[in-house]
Amino acid sequence: MNINERLLVSFDWLWFLALLSLSAIGLLAIWSTTEGTNLNSYFGRQLAYVCFAVVVFLVVVYFDYHVYCDFINIIYATSLALLGLVLLIGRSIHSNKSWIKMGGFVFQPSEVVKIVAILALAKYYSEIERDHLELGELLTGGLIVGVPMGLVMLQGDLGTAMTFVPIYAAMSFLAGLKRKHVLITAAALLVASPVGWLMLKDHQKGRIQTVFNPESDPKNLGYQTIQSEIAIGSGQFLGKGFKRGSQGQLGFLPARHTDFVFAVWSEERGFVGSVGLLALLLFVALRMLRTARDAKDRLGGMIVVGVLALFIFHVTINVGMVIGLLPIAGIPLPFVSAGGSSLLACYIAMGLCMSVRMRRYVN
Amino acid sequence: VTLQPEANRQLGQQRLKWLCAFIAVVFAILSVRLWQLQIVEGAEFAVRAEQNRVRAIPLVAPRGTITDRHGAPLVENRGSFNVLLYREYVQDMAETSRFLVERLGVSPEDLQDLLRRNRSAGLYQPIVIKQDVGIEDISIVEVHKRDHPEIQLGPVPRRAYRYGGLAAHVLGYVGEISEQEIARGTFPEARAGDLVGKFGVERVYNAVLTGKDGGRQMLVDSRGREMGLLAEEEAVVGGELRLTLDLELQKTAEAQLAGKVGALAALDPRTGEILAMVSAPTFDPNRFSTRISAADWESLAGDPNKPLQNRAIQNSYSPGSIFKVVMAEAGLEDGMIGSDTHVYCNGAGVFYNHTFRCAQHKGHGYVDLRTAIARSCNIFFYDLGRRLGIERIAAHAQSLGLGRRTGVDLPNERAGLMPSPEWKQRARGDRWYPGETISVSIGQGAVSVTPLQILRAVGAIAVGGKLTTPHLLLRAENARSAPSWPVANLKVNASSTHRIRDGMWGGVNEWGTGHNAQIPGLDICGKTGTVQVMSAERRRIARGAEFEDHSWFVGFAPRDNPEIAVVAFVEHGGKGGVAAAPMAREVFRTHFGDRRAPAMLSQLTPPATPR
Repeated sequence: MNINERLLVSFDWLWFLALLSLSAIGLLAIWSTTEGTNLNSYFGRQLAYVCFAVVVFLVVVYFDYHVYCDFINIIYATSLALLGLVLLIGRSIHSNKSWIKMGGFVFQPSEVVKIVAILALAKYYSEIERDHLELGELLTGGLIVGVPMGLVMLQGDLGTAMTFVPIYAAMSFLAGLKRKHVLITAAALLVASPVGWLMLKDHQKGRIQTVFNPESDPKNLGYQTIQSEIAIGSGQFLGKGFKRGSQGQLGFLPARHTDFVFAVWSEERGFVGSVGLLALLLFVALRMLRTARDAKDRLGGMIVVGVLALFIFHVTINVGMVIGLLPIAGIPLPFVSAGGSSLLACYIAMGLCMSVRMRRYVN
Repeated sequence: VTLQPEANRQLGQQRLKWLCAFIAVVFAILSVRLWQLQIVEGAEFAVRAEQNRVRAIPLVAPRGTITDRHGAPLVENRGSFNVLLYREYVQDMAETSRFLVERLGVSPEDLQDLLRRNRSAGLYQPIVIKQDVGIEDISIVEVHKRDHPEIQLGPVPRRAYRYGGLAAHVLGYVGEISEQEIARGTFPEARAGDLVGKFGVERVYNAVLTGKDGGRQMLVDSRGREMGLLAEEEAVVGGELRLTLDLELQKTAEAQLAGKVGALAALDPRTGEILAMVSAPTFDPNRFSTRISAADWESLAGDPNKPLQNRAIQNSYSPGSIFKVVMAEAGLEDGMIGSDTHVYCNGAGVFYNHTFRCAQHKGHGYVDLRTAIARSCNIFFYDLGRRLGIERIAAHAQSLGLGRRTGVDLPNERAGLMPSPEWKQRARGDRWYPGETISVSIGQGAVSVTPLQILRAVGAIAVGGKLTTPHLLLRAENARSAPSWPVANLKVNASSTHRIRDGMWGGVNEWGTGHNAQIPGLDICGKTGTVQVMSAERRRIARGAEFEDHSWFVGFAPRDNPEIAVVAFVEHGGKGGVAAAPMAREVFRTHFGDRRAPAMLSQLTPPATPR
């Protein structure tokens, strides 16, 4: 299949521009807080990641999304093998054994595995002829997502593992999840949550507890939340200006270029900037919703819904954590946070959605 | 929205709308929270961000210097460093403790104790770990500035008493304001943690001496490392205090009392300016400049010789024979002693059926006032006391300032006691016995005076009846108002004071009891006193220094136009003429120094007494 004139016209430039803007905001925030410090290599690297990811994005867009799904069995199997490999030889960063070194790069396969899971589940659900899911199909879908999720969990990266849940939930919902099954699942979750609480490690429990009372232990768990709230709040309406955010500049903000990049932006750009950033994220979400609606087949729609679920989950968890509504979890803000693997995964996923959008017309 | 031709192959539109609604709710919640943080509570967070990045370092203002009357510094300040711990920047308390214990030699128990005592204080408030550290500690802290930003050096000016224990009771010492002082509002402008004067002029003139603290605002990063200076307000040094003390005279006075227990004071009887004031034993106020250790405090406060007490004003003693000067003034003013009043002394006299003895057991023979003062004859004054009666003795003594505070500018002055029948009725619930009057007549019995009181009284007689307020302040820089020192002009005849001075001159210069105070070429007048601490009978069997008599000497010079009065007192020193008089002599010698003009030698004749 070639890109013809019609496809080029169908390329959503505004959407693409929104993605580039998000990356630009990320770059600005990273530049602001790392330039002149021992982290000053981050900006250059992030810029390189963005360029590389955009190229990958365009490559992904070039191909019809059906092509990926045709090879999904091989890709899926390879991914699982890769995850297994990580478990064997992976490098530990922040106690998570989820990184793998390839050449000069460390890489987090779990980021890409999420997309593979979306594609696999989309293919499986789209081949069901009915408008609703039988229990067997729901469980099979669960297995498709659950196996890679389990492997990621084994690496100790609970945050990333959790992202498989909204993918599975949203796609099953759109595939025609029965109300009965929703209720059963909800009940099961309710029963399982105390068990799940017991299974959590102490530091994870602490993170959850401090959300409700961050001042209880300001020097430890609550510290990050408090500092982040101070950063955002002190930005007030218009912000303190570029490189003027004392919280970010003087290191009061933890992980300021990665997980807390939203706080850096909000401190320096104020309410105008933070809501503007939210609006940009919302715009991307709405574009995906529209693409899901207009997709020419269930496969395309399913892929977009999976990516949308992943995107919304990341935005909610990250921003929710930074503004003190949710526990601290190592979830980056899509397109904005520093980090190559996450950025690449975002652009690949969004490339798939764009591919669906460009081929929405039935011909 | 138009339905697509192959609708069945598409996703359920209804469920997409649910998804859309969900997303809308999520973004709405996030936006509302941002509005709350940045708009509603924004100003509050802005303040917290400011506090986060700024560390206020107090710059303690040095206290004003204290000098003697000629401007010679007695108390100054020296720079010093405290090691401070900022708990808010501690990354790992175990590591910080290890550093403090191993590198800075802090004992683990002390550290635990300090941390426990400061537990309720704000984390941002530094704890003083070590005071007045040496160069080794300073360099250790400086070298580890980056890896231990929680440990800092705090510059603190410290009080330096240049001559150690010299005039310690006058100068006093400083210390951290106590909880009681805060509660009572003793120092209205001081806050907790401030250094205030605790004793001596440091306390009385605390307001003058206290400077205005400044501060430095440092930009700090999240670990407390200093990134730059934001603002600085210089500390303003406190006002200088110029005292009436004369350093050379003080040194001489100190030397006289070395190794003894007692007091020595000198003042200018014309003005009340105190030229020297010594209380022995003394203490080194420099020991209070750093946080005094419990053991140090115990050794000072628990010393039976009470080195922290200023014996010149805080303790009162029986005046003994020096009270005879007061008696003479009362007798002369009330017309009880005429120009030819004589008493025959045979060594003892019977008054109110009791035998009272004279110090001279053989007796003085016929004595007039001049001889009675010079030789210290008891019988003369027993007789005078009997004729005067206690009321008149008390009235005259009180008008000369005995039994009440002199008003000297030092804290905790004692009033002493001048007994009277009303006092006895009030305090003891008993009537006054006439025999007590006889005892009081020679300064025994219930009468008790502070050395400064008797010095002031004798000084008043020396200058013809001008009772001054003894004081130490000559000049205070930035003082709100000039100090005023009340002077009472007593109704005393010039001839009366002249006759007393004449007797005292004889006491020193004509082989009287005070001859040890004699300096050729100087017209020194003086009166000795020897106070029995127990009855003569019991004294004969008791052995040991604590049973020795107290020794007094009070005098002034020159006889005409006196410019200095001196009192010397030695606890258990023995005879006043032996123990106390030579001490006063040395003070006179230093005071007059080269001014002991040969011309004065020609005046070495008894002055003409008006008859």
